[in-house]
Amino acid sequence: MLEFLIRNRTIVCFIFFTLFCIIALSLQSTTFTMSIEGVGNMFILPFQFGYHKVQGGVHLLWAGFTELRSVRDELERTRKKLNQFETASEELSEIRRENDRLRAMLSMRPQVQFESIPARIISKDPDNWFRTIVIDRGTGDGIAVNMPVIGFNGENKAVVGKVIEVRRFVSRIQPIISGTMKLGVVFQESRYPGLLSGFTANSSLCLIDYISKSTVVKFGDLVVTSGQGGIFPAGLMVGKVAKTNLMDSNSFQRVLVQPIIDFDRIEEVYVIKKEPDKAMLELLGE
Amino acid sequence: MIFTYLITAGLIIASLVIQGHPSFDVLRIAGVKPDLLFIIVIYFGYSFGSFYGEVTGFVGGLLHDAISNSPIGFLAFSKMALGFVVGMFGRAVFKENILTVLLLLFIASLAKGVLSLFLAFVFHQAAVSDILSIIIPEAFYNAILAPPLFFLLDRLFEHELSREGY
Repeated sequence: MLEFLIRNRTIVCFIFFTLFCIIALSLQSTTFTMSIEGVGNMFILPFQFGYHKVQGGVHLLWAGFTELRSVRDELERTRKKLNQFETASEELSEIRRENDRLRAMLSMRPQVQFESIPARIISKDPDNWFRTIVIDRGTGDGIAVNMPVIGFNGENKAVVGKVIEVRRFVSRIQPIISGTMKLGVVFQESRYPGLLSGFTANSSLCLIDYISKSTVVKFGDLVVTSGQGGIFPAGLMVGKVAKTNLMDSNSFQRVLVQPIIDFDRIEEVYVIKKEPDKAMLELLGE
Repeated sequence: MIFTYLITAGLIIASLVIQGHPSFDVLRIAGVKPDLLFIIVIYFGYSFGSFYGEVTGFVGGLLHDAISNSPIGFLAFSKMALGFVVGMFGRAVFKENILTVLLLLFIASLAKGVLSLFLAFVFHQAAVSDILSIIIPEAFYNAILAPPLFFLLDRLFEHELSREGY
């Protein structure tokens, strides 16, 4: 028997591997597949961290030689901006006090400010079929599933995605350009609501479908989060309208949105410590 | 032999780490990046036969699944199956030259893409448009990168290849 198995090891292994894959695919999200992912991550993670550190070190060393002049210019610009912001900060605190006073007069709920955790991107999905991002913060840093993630492009703060998986030292983020992501948004100017998702698997654009044809959507219109859905706070920037598709055969129009965040270049993100609205998620789940 | 296994393990890990690193996104063309691990799996199937190809494809694919958002078995199955099939023909049938390697990787990548699309239809979610947006661009990309990678791997496994009689 053993001799037969060894002689035909190629076919035997092929059948075993095929059965293993089919069973694993049928048992998605069970303890069995989660354990395999855990072991795999444990095996690859030190190499990912190591490579990230080495690459960062080489980049820093190179930058030390080449970027001195640009750093000096940047410092000048930053000093000027700091002066402007210090003046603006004074005005802002005055406006905030006035806003609080008016909200109190209108008996509106005060807006909650959320704490955020800075994180570095250590890896992106190595395959073309999936678009996820791995960051160097996990349960130990207080991160939980469904927490919103934001980032900066220049001075613009915008939505990156949401946390979909958390382990001890790392977390996985589903970006808004992913096809399986669904995000409630509104057009900032017209206040018309929509549901945003990724456009295609390899595109860096987002799509808002089922917008009424009567809605006027202009090129460059800003799209912000609606706050519905229980995960993202309202009013966070998402992107700008890049194209609208109006077809006679369809009673709706499709809007393509260029995200504010450049997903090919982003290196740092901030996880907002906001617990998802469980009642809302359960309702949506049903 | 242990040296060959160690080098293989090192190549699998290095390809996954490089493919997953944020800076690798700079290499995206038409929104896709090449699958270095798949090129390596095909090399092993092509050079050392079905058994080595399928084992490398399965182990590498399983690690690929573990660090990707894909369900376990999704990437492992297509890599394992193609490592097995390519190993059935291998160097003995197709003599190595740039055109053979280009065509081999292009056809193998297309087959891998179609297999993944089928699995995605059954177990996950997929659209036929993925053929145009992912499968074909990735097949071109893999095919272009294959000849230089095969050349480097030939130098790395010179002793093993001469032992096999190539």
